Amino acid sequence: MAYVATRGGERAIEQSQRLFRAEMGEITRERVAEIRRAMPYLVDRAMGEASLYDEDLAALALAQTGGEPYEAILLLRAWRTTQPRLQVAAPVRQEDLFTHRRISAAFKDIPGGQVLGPTLDYSHRILETGVLAGEAFVPPPVEPAAVPAPARQPSVAAWQAENGLLELPGDDAALGNEIPDITREPVMFPAKRAHTLQSLARAETGGVLALGYAAQRGYGQAHPTVNELRLAEAEIRVRHPRGTTFSAGRVKISQAEVVSKSGTQLGLGFAATLGWNEVKVIAAATLDLNAPGAEKGSATEEEFFVYHTEGVESSGFCIHFKLPHYVTFQSSLDAMRDAKAKKAATEKAPEPAE
Amino acid sequence: MGQPLASPSPSPAELRSNAAFEALLWALSRPGQLRALEGEGAIVEALIDRECTVYATDPAVARGAERLGAALVGAGEADYVFAGALPSTALLGELKQGSDLHPEEGATLILAAGFTAGDRLCLSGPGVDGALSVTVGGLPAGFWARRAQLMRYPMGFDIFLCDGAQVMGVPRSTAVEAF
Amino acid sequence: MSLATLTRAWEPMSYGFLDGSAKREVRRKMLKAVAVPGCQMPYASREVPMARGWGTGGLQVSCTLLNPKMRVKVIDQGADDSVNAASIRKFLARVSGAPTTTDTLEADLIQSRHRIPEEILREDQVLVLQVPNPEPLRPVQPNMSIARQMHADADYGRMWLQLYEQIVRAGRVMQGASYPSLVNGRFIMTPSPIPRWDVPKLHMAKHLTILSAGREKRLYVVPPYTRVEPLVFDDVPYRVEEHGGLTCTRSGATGFFMNEIPQDDGSSAYEISDSDFGVKSIRKREGEEVAFGATWYTGGEMEGQGR
Repeated sequence: MAYVATRGGERAIEQSQRLFRAEMGEITRERVAEIRRAMPYLVDRAMGEASLYDEDLAALALAQTGGEPYEAILLLRAWRTTQPRLQVAAPVRQEDLFTHRRISAAFKDIPGGQVLGPTLDYSHRILETGVLAGEAFVPPPVEPAAVPAPARQPSVAAWQAENGLLELPGDDAALGNEIPDITREPVMFPAKRAHTLQSLARAETGGVLALGYAAQRGYGQAHPTVNELRLAEAEIRVRHPRGTTFSAGRVKISQAEVVSKSGTQLGLGFAATLGWNEVKVIAAATLDLNAPGAEKGSATEEEFFVYHTEGVESSGFCIHFKLPHYVTFQSSLDAMRDAKAKKAATEKAPEPAE
Repeated sequence: MGQPLASPSPSPAELRSNAAFEALLWALSRPGQLRALEGEGAIVEALIDRECTVYATDPAVARGAERLGAALVGAGEADYVFAGALPSTALLGELKQGSDLHPEEGATLILAAGFTAGDRLCLSGPGVDGALSVTVGGLPAGFWARRAQLMRYPMGFDIFLCDGAQVMGVPRSTAVEAF
Repeated sequence: MSLATLTRAWEPMSYGFLDGSAKREVRRKMLKAVAVPGCQMPYASREVPMARGWGTGGLQVSCTLLNPKMRVKVIDQGADDSVNAASIRKFLARVSGAPTTTDTLEADLIQSRHRIPEEILREDQVLVLQVPNPEPLRPVQPNMSIARQMHADADYGRMWLQLYEQIVRAGRVMQGASYPSLVNGRFIMTPSPIPRWDVPKLHMAKHLTILSAGREKRLYVVPPYTRVEPLVFDDVPYRVEEHGGLTCTRSGATGFFMNEIPQDDGSSAYEISDSDFGVKSIRKREGEEVAFGATWYTGGEMEGQGR
């Protein structure tokens, strides 16, 4: 006998999942490959927020959830968390990145030059409606420059540091297993530097944008200038158990440095993430820039933005309000009714003044 | 989606860790009550990995902990202190006790003891229904008085006493009176 | 060293879903939580194949404790067959091979959201409560770091003030569920959003209760035989919901926590919230022989609980 017949139980759950997937059809290897090929920026965003670099798994997660990003990222995170940690790769330095795009808003030109790289920044945002009428959109071929831009460049901040304009953060001595890992220990505040940067790297793009934008609009103390935005590939170098170091491949990364005047020096905010996601790293670097000395409870305070931009947690909590809450509701109702009865009683018979 | 596992079955190591932890959880939740536990090795297997620091006087225990990725450190820095048969109470003063903000940073001390002969102790506090009288031997003189003197709750260290295949837990929340 | 010593044989999924590292983390923090009752222990909460806020904290504790011999019961709002309880129970059974039950008396491990069963839990049973917000001080201090410092200092003045203000304004404490309670005379904890009816069941209980918040990455424990005292003033006693006199329209039983079911005619009907206890009560009324455990409440009253 189902005591709670209206809530259905296991059969209802099963059928609701079938309904969700009913119209998406078969998920095949070909579909996953097509998502990976056709939507690299969506795949990148998923990999960044999942902090798991695997284009096939990210494309699979998107296919499996019909493109519902929060569900896709939860799938990837839940998969990631069960994987063994074999190695911690060697640190990646900015000057070693294989750079595709590197621009600075701080200077007209920078050592190494402004490298525009792949971007829609200056495109006119017009829908190619012809495609719907059967006219395929064929992207015009790229005409390479006569001289390729240098692939490896130091950061703009390094140049500024040489010229006494800012102080670079000291080299972090922590290596390998010593590096605090946000997936292996809970974040406590004031947060370890590694935890803050890892949180921003994993943060939900929309969440980081909302808080970063608030800071940019004036709810932060520092107005950012994009010192450098870079899209690049980073070499993952690991040690073989035999002792030799080898490259396990390259991963796409984005990073942003933002600066603002802070006394006689420039203050520096930094963020990086897996995959190419410019909005996220600029917004995240803005938060990082504004964090020192931010008021408790403000959008630019570390605890505030680290907690509230965590997409798996925020989206999960948001949708948990769909779960029944009738026990807690009943409990509040009881207190409310009693308070109301008390009020009615005192209004009817006011206590005699003493 | 999601293929059901045919019949999920734990590996022998998984079962050992699971059982060892159940014993530790029971022992610490009910101070003074004995539970079956196969020695210090079982504790290492259930709790220790690269996220912990360990101090062990027994080289075999130290090797085991190191193999699981733990960093071997001095007794004063260790999360887990496997001290075997304690010659004096000197070690107690070195142990990490955490802070009021982070009581969880207090150390776990694992000692060899005997439950068949020794001092009569009276335990009280969380996990004890009223008071419990137990017999514990093999600890240096003044052990319990020194423990009480050093700890200021919620800071402190938590103790597992091992005697052969038996374990007794004495968390920092337990008041211990020696008769 | 070779790669083989660092890795393990490939499995589609770890036993109990969580890998060894995740389990050891939960184990270490559970032990510390036992040692300092009611104190929130930060832990490296992992993502699990369920959304945050849907019981991922409780799930990690259960996945760590379960073995194929442990019988598990899962309830949500008191009910075994609500969709979320069914989903969690299915997951736990699937990843651990543990047998399941709906009968409180048969369960070794009970994972619950928002209720404690009406039958008294035994010494050999473990209760795992899912916790959405582990911080009782949040209404007066949303910042976690400051709140933690307040716990460190046992600085609970604002908490008391908040209760006092409610009494002044409304004539009573307005806290519904999640009634803040002092554990072992030292830490204020939230008992999770269980009704006030259930809080006294934690006081000097025979069983172990583990409370775990996956999203907020905190777990805390009420060991057996530990004082759990709801915050009250000497002259304003603690009051559970006025359910002691209500009768379940389906089973005829009286004196337990009820679900209120609005009726077309504007009135309310009631049914026992603890679904398994409700089912047993109906079966008893229908003449079946049913094994009941002793209940915390008798005749709508709990011993030692002034109402």
